[in-house]
Amino acid sequence: MDRLVQLFADIAKLWQGYGASYLTGMRNTLVLALIGTLIGCIIGFICGVLNTIPYTKRDSLAKRGVLGFIRGLVRVYVEVFRGTPMVLQAVFLYYGLPYFTNNTVRFTDIWSAAILVVSINTGAYMAESVRGGIISIDPGQAEGAKAIGMNHWQTMTNVILPQALRNILPQIGNNFIINVKDTSVMFIIGFPDFFAAHRAAVGASYLYFPSATVEMAAYLTMTLVASFLLRWVEKRLDGADSYELVNADPLVMTAGTYSHPHKGSPTDEYSKEFRENLKNAMKNRNFDKRGER
Amino acid sequence: MGETVLEIRHLSKAFGSNSVLKDIDFTVEKGDVISIIGASGSGKSTLLRCINLLETPTGGEILYHGRDVAGRGVNAPEYRSHVGMVFQSFNLFSNMTVLENCMVGQTKVLKKSKEEARENAMRYLTKVGMAPYINARPRQISGGQKQRVAIARALAMEPEVLLFDEPTSALDPEMVGEVLAVMQDLAHEGMTMLVVTHEMAFARDVSSRVVYMNEGVICEQGSPAEVFGNPQQPETKEFLARFRQN
Repeated sequence: MDRLVQLFADIAKLWQGYGASYLTGMRNTLVLALIGTLIGCIIGFICGVLNTIPYTKRDSLAKRGVLGFIRGLVRVYVEVFRGTPMVLQAVFLYYGLPYFTNNTVRFTDIWSAAILVVSINTGAYMAESVRGGIISIDPGQAEGAKAIGMNHWQTMTNVILPQALRNILPQIGNNFIINVKDTSVMFIIGFPDFFAAHRAAVGASYLYFPSATVEMAAYLTMTLVASFLLRWVEKRLDGADSYELVNADPLVMTAGTYSHPHKGSPTDEYSKEFRENLKNAMKNRNFDKRGER
Repeated sequence: MGETVLEIRHLSKAFGSNSVLKDIDFTVEKGDVISIIGASGSGKSTLLRCINLLETPTGGEILYHGRDVAGRGVNAPEYRSHVGMVFQSFNLFSNMTVLENCMVGQTKVLKKSKEEARENAMRYLTKVGMAPYINARPRQISGGQKQRVAIARALAMEPEVLLFDEPTSALDPEMVGEVLAVMQDLAHEGMTMLVVTHEMAFARDVSSRVVYMNEGVICEQGSPAEVFGNPQQPETKEFLARFRQN
């Protein structure tokens, strides 16, 4: 018990000394994860779309050659950046670019370097997710689009990608959460993220465990909030599960809503109407618990 | 006879070494309602998919107003916008509402304005009796309703020919009627239609010509009275006899 009291006292002491640096660290972590995931998604979408451009034997050799080359390139990119640790990629790019260009190309600020590394890393994972999302869409959807005269690009942007995006949204969320945690390796190139704040704090105070506790709790809070928000976005994207009948013909049904499948309808036992009917029925039984026979 | 819209010459299609269509020849004239009947696996659907270029024919020509569309360097999307198709599995865009399904082709392919597309879509949706459901999504409506929307979506492109690939085969028996009724209306209005179907009553009563296919070749064709009343080929007789029994 007194250990716990001690822990809280230490945390309070840490917070007094380094609260501001913890908070900026959290902000930096979140901003980096968010931007990195967004750019990574864009990279992933471009790769996924390029990777799924169909070609047949009837297409010209040039077209087949270019598309084959693109597929190969994307494949190499994905395999290399998915198959190596991000912490090494950071070092590799941050020191590699100046090394090879004789210091003409170098990162003037740490932000662009960190964003670059996180983006390319996320892009490699997203490329595969997007490709999976695209090929998981029923081929009938593409056929339906082709049958009304859409070309490949129109089919993609209007029909396939919106559905693929919905299907890979959990993956995007996954990547964002992974990025929130894994940007902690960016301390290796000196990025001032949340984990760097921990290193700075313990370097001066030697309160390793209390600071780690702060870190754990804060990382968990960030990822929980993120996954909660993502669920909410997913729900919003799915749209309402009922629709308004636009009715001119009174014979079909009175204007109102039809819910899918029973939500809110009188036969739905959770609906207000159903409960009210039930309540009235109970009331009209003359307090006879067995009902009328 | 009316003007020739489609002319299929020596069309063949093979999947690997499996030859599905062999030397198919027939013409479609304006206002024709052609029913293609035959056992499963006889190549009916493949023929229709070849005509819409969803499958690439391995040989022969498909002439649309005298222009070969099966060869290389053809603007397939442009051609398809004149030839509508209704699928067995509906293939409505599940990310759009009923109305958007009927509008997207008009706005994106035909470059019509939103207002014009909407008006046009509403006209055809009213025609198939789906106007009240414009805000519904495909997953929320029944199979028969989906197929009627699919027909409206194809019609909204104002195609010259409409291809139906077993439009009622995926429907519950009580929903077949509503779709066939829409198709019958279209036939009476002079729409040029090619219908792959197992609904013999529809083939007999609505179509102007019946094509019987067997093992990748056109075995027999003629008016419904000829094919159903007095079939010449033994295969046709046998096929129709099976239908009469049940």
